[in-house]
Amino acid sequence: MSAINVHRLSKRFGDVLAVDDLGFEVEEGTVVGFLGPNGAGKTTTLRMLLGLVAPTAGTATFGGRAYRELPAPTRVVGAVLEASGFHPGRTARNHLRVLATAAGLADGLVDEVLGQVGLADAAGRRVGGFSLGMRQRLGLAAALLGDPEVLLLDEPANGLDPEGIHWLRGLVRRQADEGRTVLVSSHLLAEVAQTVDQVVIIARGRLVAQSTLADLTAGAAAAVRVRTPQAEALRDRLAAGGAAVRLDGPEGLVVTGATTEQVGRAAAAAGIVLHEMRFERSNLEEVFLELTNHGGDRS
Amino acid sequence: MTRLVRAELLKLRTTRTTAGIFALTVATTALIMTAVMLIAGRPGQPAIESGILPDLVAVAKGPLVIFALILGVLGMSGEFRFGTATPTFLVTPNRGRVVAAKLVANALAGAALAAASAAVALGIGLPWLLVKGVDITIVDAEVASRLLGLVATSALHAVLGVGLAALVRNQVVAIAAGLLWMRVEGLIPDALQRPGLGRWLPEGAASALTDSGAVTLPMWAGGLLFAAYGLALALIGTRLVVRRDLT
Repeated sequence: MSAINVHRLSKRFGDVLAVDDLGFEVEEGTVVGFLGPNGAGKTTTLRMLLGLVAPTAGTATFGGRAYRELPAPTRVVGAVLEASGFHPGRTARNHLRVLATAAGLADGLVDEVLGQVGLADAAGRRVGGFSLGMRQRLGLAAALLGDPEVLLLDEPANGLDPEGIHWLRGLVRRQADEGRTVLVSSHLLAEVAQTVDQVVIIARGRLVAQSTLADLTAGAAAAVRVRTPQAEALRDRLAAGGAAVRLDGPEGLVVTGATTEQVGRAAAAAGIVLHEMRFERSNLEEVFLELTNHGGDRS
Repeated sequence: MTRLVRAELLKLRTTRTTAGIFALTVATTALIMTAVMLIAGRPGQPAIESGILPDLVAVAKGPLVIFALILGVLGMSGEFRFGTATPTFLVTPNRGRVVAAKLVANALAGAALAAASAAVALGIGLPWLLVKGVDITIVDAEVASRLLGLVATSALHAVLGVGLAALVRNQVVAIAAGLLWMRVEGLIPDALQRPGLGRWLPEGAASALTDSGAVTLPMWAGGLLFAAYGLALALIGTRLVVRRDLT
């Protein structure tokens, strides 16, 4: 049974079709990046999953049950939505105490999750004085309160500094290692590329791709750039092996359809000297742009 | 449901808004008591005698019910203003239950507000009457009935505030509408030339709780009718507004 199931989901706001017949599944225990440009319908989809926005059509369920039907939702799903949702005059600890009380959770969990997100020292401070990054951490603390099986994170890196983003990646990874399912949205592929097992890419409210990162990269004809004095010899050798190769300057090769391992082995077998070899990651970003620019077209 | 009411009470206790409204109530009551002490006994003013005590209990009723109404409005509309509605409804997806818990918690807070006002009024009034040599009995049916009425009207004004804010999400609009209605309601029976109508309107019904007179309903009936107005607003607000998409 998949942890999250979005089935033929649509949402219309007046004239705007924000989500258009969207469908995808998230397997239990996986970390999935939910990607798309700003305005693609990511937040609306997450809010429909959480019962905050009513779908125009379709269903969005956790293990087959709508969020509103979960008997103890905070123990099943933890969500971090945009960085508001705090009364500025309430302290961080009191914000969480209110939620814990309503959810019937022990008060002791509050300090535990504050520690987990690195806010133990700020627990007694009013949220009004918090930076955006601290609010994101507090939002995460609230999501973790019920020790949920599924985490939904909407642009969690917004407002975090590089150190914070690094910390967030570690936290998401730990949650995944403990067997939790994580759906994390972002408009930047690079932001989640290191963390996720799979990606769901949407544009203009529609699904444009769901695949593993590896497949996505392969589909993008990811390139290996090689510098060698025997460029032509290596090109012939690789082309014979089925890779697409083109010369790039007198000593350069751009290889698509082969991994760095394959290129290295081919060079070694032919006794070819390599001066430089690198895998071009930027292509991943190009695929993303390509998919999101054209994938959602309704023409 | 108990834990939701406890959570709502915790919300009230953990912001400075509630403390501010309590402070305002206490200060206003003290101010009005001072004025009463200065003018009492003059021609046309209440005499300084034991019969004044029930009136002293409810001396700040006017501002008190306004503060209670504002308390209720802020308790509900704050969720939308600060966006706390999102975490609140994530923990409790059944929004009707959240509104119900708010009605109970704010009624309790409204009752406590009345108790604070009455305590200040008596705290100042009793020593004053003693100094003036008035023979007073605090255990008195009239005093008890007035205290009960004051607590009830304050609690139910907080309920009305929650109901109003459930229907009108905007804080300022909800408070303005509530205060405007309080001013205008009294003019309606005359405008319609139906003098008997007043007691059936919200504030007219509420007045049965604190002002015994020929034109009001019996205390219990007025209280029930006024409560029904607040609950009806909350119910309609929950159906039409609170259940809307939270984007």
